[in-house]
Amino acid sequence: MTELTNILPSMATVLQVIMIAVKCVIIAGIVMNLPIILVWLERKVAGHIQQRPGPMRIGPHGLLQSVADGIKLIFKEDIIPSKADKIVFIIAPVIALIPAMTVFVTIPFGDSIMIPYINQEVTLYIADFNVAILFILAVGGISVYGFMLGGWASNSKYALLGSIRAAAQMISYEVAFSFAAIGVVMMTNSLSLVDIVHAQDGWFTNWNILYLPVGPVWFCIFFVAALAELNRIPFDMSEDEGSLAAGYQVEYSGMKFSLFALAEYSAMVSISVLCVIFFFGGWNAPIPGIPIVPPVLWLIGKTFVFIYFFMVIRFTLPRYRYDQLMTIGWKVLIPLSLVMILITGLMRILL
Amino acid sequence: MKPHVKKLDRQCDHTDAPSILKDIFNRAIFKDIIKGLSVTLKYNVSPVITLNYPDKEKWIPTARYRGVHTLNRDEEGRELCVACELCVKACPTGCITVVPEEDDTGRGIADRVAKIWTVNLVRCMFCGYCEDACPTTAVRLGRDYELACRDMSCAVLNRDQLLQKPEIPEDFEGGTRVSARMKKMRGGIKVIPDINKKRDNWW
Amino acid sequence: MLIEYILFIIFAVIAIMSSLCVVTLRNPVHCAGYLIVTLLQVAALFLLCRSPFLAVVQVFIYVGAVLVLFLFVVLLIDVKKASMEIFKPKHRPLAYGVLAILLIETLVVIFVGGLEKIRLAAPGAEVKVETIGRELFTSYIFPFEIVSVVLLVAMVGAIVMAIDRRG
Repeated sequence: MTELTNILPSMATVLQVIMIAVKCVIIAGIVMNLPIILVWLERKVAGHIQQRPGPMRIGPHGLLQSVADGIKLIFKEDIIPSKADKIVFIIAPVIALIPAMTVFVTIPFGDSIMIPYINQEVTLYIADFNVAILFILAVGGISVYGFMLGGWASNSKYALLGSIRAAAQMISYEVAFSFAAIGVVMMTNSLSLVDIVHAQDGWFTNWNILYLPVGPVWFCIFFVAALAELNRIPFDMSEDEGSLAAGYQVEYSGMKFSLFALAEYSAMVSISVLCVIFFFGGWNAPIPGIPIVPPVLWLIGKTFVFIYFFMVIRFTLPRYRYDQLMTIGWKVLIPLSLVMILITGLMRILL
Repeated sequence: MKPHVKKLDRQCDHTDAPSILKDIFNRAIFKDIIKGLSVTLKYNVSPVITLNYPDKEKWIPTARYRGVHTLNRDEEGRELCVACELCVKACPTGCITVVPEEDDTGRGIADRVAKIWTVNLVRCMFCGYCEDACPTTAVRLGRDYELACRDMSCAVLNRDQLLQKPEIPEDFEGGTRVSARMKKMRGGIKVIPDINKKRDNWW
Repeated sequence: MLIEYILFIIFAVIAIMSSLCVVTLRNPVHCAGYLIVTLLQVAALFLLCRSPFLAVVQVFIYVGAVLVLFLFVVLLIDVKKASMEIFKPKHRPLAYGVLAILLIETLVVIFVGGLEKIRLAAPGAEVKVETIGRELFTSYIFPFEIVSVVLLVAMVGAIVMAIDRRG
């Protein structure tokens, strides 16, 4: 009997595992379904910027349009090009999606809350790594394999060119992106996202964006690098419809295509959340003592501001040329972030 | 780097130090991007200019628009058409067929009325020569422009269909958009305008 | 602890299988894919040794950067031609020799290197990033700097090779 209890995990561990599983399911459910709203929102934003209403027919103000699109994509014929590498072609969209979802493991949506009736304290994050930032960077780096392998496996020139561009762009901007994360670590003295948010507690002047004079610069570096990592306009060279048809996803259709779209939108959500956590105080209210709005809603609200900002940028800026993209990455962002690391370090030591 | 690429990369032609500094400063504060964003954000909150057709709105053309033909009656309800066949002769595409008959029951304004008056809308090019040729202003080109249907049955309109009162009265001044509702029928879709509810023209 | 053993066996077996695939498969892109799997499994093993930092850095550097460059080059290879190529027989003795040396080295490390003295950290006592940083910049500063210089030399060499000689 004692041996059995030694081998079997204790009750508390089982409860913890169940709790984590429940949280995973909830977050996965939200993140998987968020693109339905985001696609609709993106089309609405696009429409209103161009003075047209956007989707209007299905549901009130076209709300169910993306549901209809999803159903259409599910029932579409699943085409695999005849000379494609079948296994890689099928796996690639999944490889693209998994890292985009995995990032949410570390993201804290709020501090812990008490659940009434069962008197159990629950943290609003799945895991509080002490290397969470590095984890996010690592997992974000994996996601490019989906695009690369997908483009290669399609056995098409456009797709291959798109995937090569995606790889080159990802490598170039990964450096600046990581430097920006290092800047955040230097400003807050921690690699854990929960601690980063706690370092920004209190008034909005404690937020990293207002860590003058370096905060805004770090934010700009982070944001530009994030745009490039997301493959969004103005840096969407890898799916440039003008010169590459649709880049790496040109041969994809049906559900596989929508998995790529799902990955992109999940990545956009996670980057927006990271912007909020790194620079805009996470779940903190700008002024402490506004008890009516729960912290989670603050985080969600700030995140949606960023998502909206990403969308407006998409319909404002033209696409950069490829050499301009590389110039911005290597000649502007990386030297600038090195200088900023120096300044931030000096500020930490001297102030 | 090859020289012509270098030339492309040079985005400002300033050479003196103050203007270069100014240029760098403008880029550092993202001046151009903020300018562009302000334009898009302004348009984002400005009203929508789309005509919401066929769901909620419809465009009513002006009175001189040349749509589907109508055959008209006078104030006492008599048919104005005297079956003179001038419209047939004027028609460049030969899409109008008129067969006269004698009828003194007061159906028309004269004893001669049209037994058959059909127009083949597939051939018609809506030039309006028929209404110019008509001595009694019986045939007019109306304001109905929803001609699509699912089979050829609507391609040829006969006299009874043409004699029906047009849904937009002749004296209604068009050139506006009005509220409408879409009606799905077996033959296709009709958008029925409500001419009392005018919408603002955005221009 | 039972669960940890099971996890270790799973990760180790997958790592060995996929590394075998790396050397036996003919399609270079598939090989690169299996190499990614191997490195991820090794990262998982680091995690079992309670060193999340090392695991994450393994994924970040090797999977996230090095193999992207790898694949970047491999994507441009004509796969059909590459998979038809056979190693020349006269190179085989050399390969066997290298393999034998590596095998002996591994055996020496396993049986003589004192591996049994190494103990895992107690559960819950993860290696902190601060500790690693402090150790690197105090006790191990000399090897650290040597590695940095080696990397610098490699970087300079790469730049020299990439310079357009026409001017």
